[in-house]
Amino acid sequence: RNNKYRRQLQTPTGTVPQSHQSRQPPGNIFSKMGVSDDVVQPKQAEAVVQDTIIHLETTKDCLKPAKIGFVGSGNMAQALLNGFVNKGLVEASNVWASAPSDRNLAKLKPLGVHTTHDNGLVIQECDIVFLSVKPHLFIEVNAGLSPIEGDHKPLFISIMTGISIEKLEQMLSGIVQNPRVVRTMPNTPCMVSQGCCVYCLGSNATDADGIIVKTMLSSVALCEQVPESQLDGICGLAGSGPAYIYAVIEALADGGVKMGIPRQLAQSMAAQMVKGAATMVLESGKHPGQLKDEVCSPGGTTITAMHKLETGGLRGTLMSAVEASAQRSKELGK
Amino acid sequence: MGGMPLTFAGRMKLVPEACQGILTSRIVKAENIIASCPKTDQHLLDQMKVMGCETTNNNVEAAGSSDVVLVGVKPNIVPRVLHDIKSCVTPKSPLVTSVALGVTIDSMESILPDASRVIRTMPNIPALVNCGASVYSKGTYATADDVTLTKRLLLSVGTADEVPETFMDAITGLSGAGPAYVFVVLEALADGGVKMGLPRPLAQKLAAQTIMGAAKMAIETGKHPGQLKDEVCSPGGCTIQGVAALEAGGVRASFIDAVTQATLKSLQTAGK
Repeated sequence: RNNKYRRQLQTPTGTVPQSHQSRQPPGNIFSKMGVSDDVVQPKQAEAVVQDTIIHLETTKDCLKPAKIGFVGSGNMAQALLNGFVNKGLVEASNVWASAPSDRNLAKLKPLGVHTTHDNGLVIQECDIVFLSVKPHLFIEVNAGLSPIEGDHKPLFISIMTGISIEKLEQMLSGIVQNPRVVRTMPNTPCMVSQGCCVYCLGSNATDADGIIVKTMLSSVALCEQVPESQLDGICGLAGSGPAYIYAVIEALADGGVKMGIPRQLAQSMAAQMVKGAATMVLESGKHPGQLKDEVCSPGGTTITAMHKLETGGLRGTLMSAVEASAQRSKELGK
Repeated sequence: MGGMPLTFAGRMKLVPEACQGILTSRIVKAENIIASCPKTDQHLLDQMKVMGCETTNNNVEAAGSSDVVLVGVKPNIVPRVLHDIKSCVTPKSPLVTSVALGVTIDSMESILPDASRVIRTMPNIPALVNCGASVYSKGTYATADDVTLTKRLLLSVGTADEVPETFMDAITGLSGAGPAYVFVVLEALADGGVKMGLPRPLAQKLAAQTIMGAAKMAIETGKHPGQLKDEVCSPGGCTIQGVAALEAGGVRASFIDAVTQATLKSLQTAGK
């Protein structure tokens, strides 16, 4: 039975690190998740990963698949769910999703997901609950929730922009004592499993909770833990960033069209080129300045173009964009 | 290399200092150096005399007794000097070198007798403090030994690299004119310091030392400058604020423009 636990977890950015080996009762693979022995005896059931599937350890020897819930079933929730299912982290039959209307639920039902209009049902039923409603609707959603029955204490994972951990904990303490909360910020390319996501642990969330979040979100994104203070900056960079790049791609395509290339080809080339360049940065380990140098041969076409970009103040403009978005994020968060 | 006469022909303000560098490197002994220039520049000859060099007012006399001639006159005077000395130039001796801006190997070879050995060099101003960035290109008949000798002479006042002559204009724009760009940067940094409350002498000293130190890091660590920049810029810190201001000011483009314009001017002067 122990052999089942020796699997490595693949993430978009590589494997989840295998930590020190420690004495573990059979069936408990916390050490494989990089969690120390100290966290082994949780008060409530903690989630672990077995054979890639997220399980719940209710007692030392008993694991059962964790139930995953989505309060709010829009694009991001769907993207996450699809990612989890594709990576084998959850089985659709262990997923509950709620939404006010059937519009989004209709897309999830065919997967075998349990759907409902009752947010409270999802929270009561599930061990891990994604809060994926539009941020401005959350107050209303929260107000409509009743206290959780029994000693069920789910892990809440928020993907809602601009709602702080403090606020989340304050709001959720109306339905459960000392709510376990992890705040995350995914970005839109999570929808194509090429996202960026950061997460911050709330005051009642454990390191093990963090590892579960990281494992799950790594199925669709580059996922790292950060202090909450860095979220505005991340918003400016990775949250808003795709929009900057869409503008870049469009402009490059315009340049291509101007020089006689058909639009469709110009656009695909522009997009693939951006993807390729990004891949080189992520995989080569070289400094971007170094990579730039390697394309710019003396007196050649590329360096001539770089001069135009510098003259246009490209670098300063991008820095300002990140700063402006981060600043606005800060303002909105108050 | 004892006993190798070296001539500095012509009026060049910088020659005494360059000569100092060469002497310190002990490539040539002072008594084997002859400096020649017009009577109007006697003060320059006096400086050379003080260093122990021979002096004269006669270019031909100087060149005739030398193995290596360094022509250090202003570019428009070079043809005249070459005409002066051509009677004592043969393929055997001397090697004729020039530090004049924009004077091509072709133009020198066409004035001098057939098969004369010529090397064109371009040092830059910090050669005066033995921190020059010099380059050289060999003429049609210059030998490997000529190249080695030239390199050694230039190394005595800084770095020395052989380049194709086609690079000369761009090098003029970069390392020839470059010190001026850096002096502007230096002054501006010092101004910034003064603006923020530092006394001028301290601000200027720190600015200069900072530039020198940063350059030294770039040269000695071999790291990419972008990498070095990253290593100074901690998240949300002071340095990145400063860098942001530079980028907003388009400083990179300004430097690219500077090198471009100076190079174009060099090309224009050469009539290309």
